[in-house]
Amino acid sequence: MTHAQLVQLAGSIIAILALAGFARWLKLGESRIATEEDARRFAEEALAGFEGGRALISGDGSAALVQGQGTIAVLKRHGAKVAVRRLVPPLRVREAVEGATVDTGEKLFGPVTLFGITADQVRGLEAPLTLV
Amino acid sequence: MAAPHLPDIVSLAVPGFVLLVLAEMLVAWAKDKSRYEPKDTLTSLALGTGSTVAGAITAGFIYAMATWLYGHFRIVDLPNPWAWYWFVLCFVIDDFAYYLFHRSAHRVRWFWASHVIHHSSQHYNLSTALRQTWTGFISISFIFRLPLFLVFPPAMVLFAGGVNLIYQFWIHTEVIGRMPRWFEAVMNTPSHHRVHHATNPRYLDKNYAGVFIVWDRWLGTFEPEREDEAPRYGIVKNLGSFNLIWAAFHEWVGIAKDVWAAPGLKAKWNYIAKPPGWSHDGSRETSETIKALWEERERARERVEWMKPISSSSEEDRAVPRRPDGSARTAATR
Repeated sequence: MTHAQLVQLAGSIIAILALAGFARWLKLGESRIATEEDARRFAEEALAGFEGGRALISGDGSAALVQGQGTIAVLKRHGAKVAVRRLVPPLRVREAVEGATVDTGEKLFGPVTLFGITADQVRGLEAPLTLV
Repeated sequence: MAAPHLPDIVSLAVPGFVLLVLAEMLVAWAKDKSRYEPKDTLTSLALGTGSTVAGAITAGFIYAMATWLYGHFRIVDLPNPWAWYWFVLCFVIDDFAYYLFHRSAHRVRWFWASHVIHHSSQHYNLSTALRQTWTGFISISFIFRLPLFLVFPPAMVLFAGGVNLIYQFWIHTEVIGRMPRWFEAVMNTPSHHRVHHATNPRYLDKNYAGVFIVWDRWLGTFEPEREDEAPRYGIVKNLGSFNLIWAAFHEWVGIAKDVWAAPGLKAKWNYIAKPPGWSHDGSRETSETIKALWEERERARERVEWMKPISSSSEEDRAVPRRPDGSARTAATR
């Protein structure tokens, strides 16, 4: 790379850090999964053919589980938006300090913790889907 | 006429990009704070910076190849090759080449693996415009532009490509609703490009245009933005991660895994050349299957609407108290 290109690169890095810092300072990006209806809508919009039923919402609005017909949608707030995965029960769920954590099986998507929700509630949500 | 010195207009435009992103952030702060998200913005801009580094590394090779093609395989010697009208013609043809590239970038997984970076944000703002690929050279996406070097001087073609890229910056915004009707008819606009970035089944794989939307209208890939259906941005399976490296390479990793595990050479090839989502056992979602499921659901909803009673024999009407003579007692007569 030439000297001019290196200067340009340094300038770009300073500019992007400044812009991201400005966005943070303006407190941009606020959102939450507020209601069961929200959760169902997000799941149905993100997953083709998904018909949402009962839902569990994390107390802080950062995550949710929605019962489908044979599958469960796991939702997590991703920045100001929501990212969704379709999981086949039984879910890998464990008790967390302030709620229940569901393992999505994807390292970069990560596990999803629902605050104020117990592992038993999660199992209750998936129970109708695992009956044979 | 001697070849003029053409500036690197994309580099010159960068300060303007920064100021416009800043202005759009202020609009978001005033109107809708969810339009921007600091980590998403940082990811987009870092991917953009990485893209310029990758471009600088490969630019010499591209320019050398273009010069070689123009020098040895030129099919026509344009009279007065630097005249302004050749610039205009070059720009229009380059934009059509962009359309073909862009359509392939959504319909061939090899090209998609490179292009998906640009679509991997769930936000749609000016910073998204700068979220550009690191692997364009690996995906050999430059082949779509090669035919132009058989006619036009390489510097002219690359200049036209720069203008095209700058034009596409301002259409990545939700701040602008619709442009005047004549403009929407001919040019790519924020409204048309919002459709392109949307994952709503109705909008999937539409509006591939760079500058002129006429290519989509002509080749049947145009879809207007509807007032009753707001676009939802991102990709069919959103990343759920702000990891820069994962954003840049996840689809390449996916191709490698699929090709490795595919049964037989044909399946291996199809995991590279078929549309994103294709699988040898049909177990994954493609644009076509997503659209089919959505259409089926829409038809089912329409059937339910049709079956709803609307005449006086409806349950609601039957529930209205009746007079002894059988006529309904409406609210006004009660």
